[in-house]
Amino acid sequence: MAFSVPVFELKQVSQQFGQFSALRNISLQIYPGERVALVGSSGAGKSTLLRLLNGSVRSTRGEVWAMGRNLSQLNSKRLRQIQQQIGTIYQQLNLVDNLRVIHNVNAGHLGRWSFFKALASLMVPLEVETAVKALSQVGIAEKLYERTDRLSGGQQQRVAIARVLVQNPLVILADEPIASLDPELSREIMDLLQNLAEQADRTLVVSLHDVDFARSHCDRMIGLRQGQILFDAAPHQVSPDLIADLYRLESH
Amino acid sequence: MTVITPALKWGLIGLAAIVLSLLQAGLFRQDLFNLNGVPLLWRFIVASVHPDLSTELLQTTFSATVTTLAYAVCGTFFSVILGMIGGVLASEVWWLSFGQPSRCWLLIRAAIAVPRAIHELIWGLFFVNIWGLDPLTAIVAIAIPFGAITAKVFSEILDETPRTPLLILLNSGVSPLTAFFYSLLPQAFLNLLSYVFYRFECSIRSAAVLGIIGAGGLGYEIFLSLQSLRYEQLWTFFYALFILNGLVDLSSAWLRRRLGCSSRIDLNLQQNKSKTPQKAAQNYFILIPIALFLLTLCFWYINPDFSKFWAPRTQQLFGQFVRSALPPDFSGVPQLIPQAIETVSMSVLAIAFSAFGGLLLAFPAANNFFLPGGLLNQQGNGSLPQIMFLLSRAVLLICRAIPAPIWALVVLFVMFPGILPGAIALGLHNLGILGRLMAEVIENQDQRPLAALKAQGAPNSLIFLYGVLPLTMPRFLAYSLYRWEVCMRETVIVGLVGAGGLGRSLTEQLSSFDYQALIVTLGGFLMLTFLVDWVSANARRSLR
Repeated sequence: MAFSVPVFELKQVSQQFGQFSALRNISLQIYPGERVALVGSSGAGKSTLLRLLNGSVRSTRGEVWAMGRNLSQLNSKRLRQIQQQIGTIYQQLNLVDNLRVIHNVNAGHLGRWSFFKALASLMVPLEVETAVKALSQVGIAEKLYERTDRLSGGQQQRVAIARVLVQNPLVILADEPIASLDPELSREIMDLLQNLAEQADRTLVVSLHDVDFARSHCDRMIGLRQGQILFDAAPHQVSPDLIADLYRLESH
Repeated sequence: MTVITPALKWGLIGLAAIVLSLLQAGLFRQDLFNLNGVPLLWRFIVASVHPDLSTELLQTTFSATVTTLAYAVCGTFFSVILGMIGGVLASEVWWLSFGQPSRCWLLIRAAIAVPRAIHELIWGLFFVNIWGLDPLTAIVAIAIPFGAITAKVFSEILDETPRTPLLILLNSGVSPLTAFFYSLLPQAFLNLLSYVFYRFECSIRSAAVLGIIGAGGLGYEIFLSLQSLRYEQLWTFFYALFILNGLVDLSSAWLRRRLGCSSRIDLNLQQNKSKTPQKAAQNYFILIPIALFLLTLCFWYINPDFSKFWAPRTQQLFGQFVRSALPPDFSGVPQLIPQAIETVSMSVLAIAFSAFGGLLLAFPAANNFFLPGGLLNQQGNGSLPQIMFLLSRAVLLICRAIPAPIWALVVLFVMFPGILPGAIALGLHNLGILGRLMAEVIENQDQRPLAALKAQGAPNSLIFLYGVLPLTMPRFLAYSLYRWEVCMRETVIVGLVGAGGLGRSLTEQLSSFDYQALIVTLGGFLMLTFLVDWVSANARRSLR
């Protein structure tokens, strides 16, 4: 993949949910290795944008391209092949919480595994080494056989990251990964995400409430307000006035 | 590093129980199938496409349907009243709010376990001996066991409701009764109401069963037509029963949704957050008069003779019953033990059959799964899922609408009497109930973990394996174990048509007025029921 080909490209994308228009006429490109922060108030369209990028929803208007493919023109098999290269970490974790940690981590393999391999692994966990390696990278290797719902919120967030590590995608998307964590944990998780992206030259797109973390951990900030892009710039170019503008409710 | 978890242990125990029960049922040892009955079964099935639609029979059908509905309405009414009184008295929090941390509630909860364990059919047969075939018999036969079940569930709901608001009121000097009505009842109300709807659905099925002992209504007509081999008439009554059950289930689901109590009896695991009621007050304004009107209409239609409650003859007959039942006759105890084993085997096989069948039908019957736009069919194509949806829903409805004793009689066309046909009959009936409960579990399942698996490119089969199955299975098993307790009590009603076990002895002793032996059999049955409840409760706890 040449460096100049964008990982993601949105061409005049709009997204409607019934009467509500979540995104309006968005065009942007994200290139390999970029660490992009999406900032903006609740309901500005950050989550919707991420769900468009990973193919969970199809845009109402416009085109979403990922890795050189137009997502809305792929059949489900081709779409799954693209989705295997995109790992998503969610705000509400979205783990299967009555499975043991190893199975949630191994779920990262599901795009590649055959049905019988996946079934066998539920009985006797397979590729344990990979899982242990991923869990040690996020610092909770000892929780391998614990039931996921017995872990704390911060630990579960680490399990979700370990799953993405096992998936080993080209792109990591994270939807407010630190929204429910205390400042200390937030920093650890953000450091982790930044390292993971830098190590393997992965692209990172993360939506954040906290502007400071966006400045410190990303190299590009996209400000969304009421479904539209307010700014798209390097952190040092985003002035406090712009941020104030971002959280101002009415637009004149 | 696989360790034997409690869940695994219970899984192995369950498997062993099923295998032993199959052996007990005589599999591989004796002839099970009576092929001579196949032509009869064929006639029975063929009759389904041309039911008897003559005006005369349709009139009979209509009045029988209304009778069954009326029994259910009146029975539910009394069981809710009994349940409210019993439920409050059997709740820990009620005694607590009077500042007496006594153990009264435990005593009362133990006491209501007895009427709960005895199936409504046994109550029915008992009251027939006293009051004859008065509608009162049917109503009371439903009201007593259902009242006790409702009381138990109500007391559990009250005790699980958060207590802080009540304690705050009590500490500020509000009288206990007022505090109870202002804090706990409003909080628990939706859960209580949701349970009443569910109880009503059960009452409809019970009212049909009670018809079989002669109490009238659709069950009675079905039993008569089946005995006299008039299958065309039989199917007319069957269709009426399907429609009645379908309408009651639909309207109950619709009402529960409208009032904002979407969660059914939540048996275990985390409580579903009940959704915010939409214009609840307005709804009650319309619903309460409708309910009152329906209730009055039902009482007027069947016109039970309440004076029989305090009639001297009732007292006299009841006194006679008590005198003739004492002293208990223990001579039959040696026969009780093999019968008890038969009964448990029957209940195990029945629940295994219905859990398996329910599992297969629940997924196509859930409205958010295979259907276009559902979880595993986001592209929204194909009419096959829609056909499967309607078909599986129809099968579930038919299974649960037909009472277990009627299923037993149908199964006996092609099988020799024994516990296996009894188990199949019970299994078919419970399959319909369990499958619907499971479909509801699937519909209420949190979709986010599944969407996450989908977004990373996992194919549908693996989303099912790593997401759907682990998330829903604990609830499926909990419901199955709960229905196992019910199956255990229901073995009595297939015993009535000769399926064996303790139920057969019970019904025989009741109809031959052998009360001395009856008391002993009943005692044995009660102990067995409590044992099964205890095992089931333990197994369910390990699933949490």
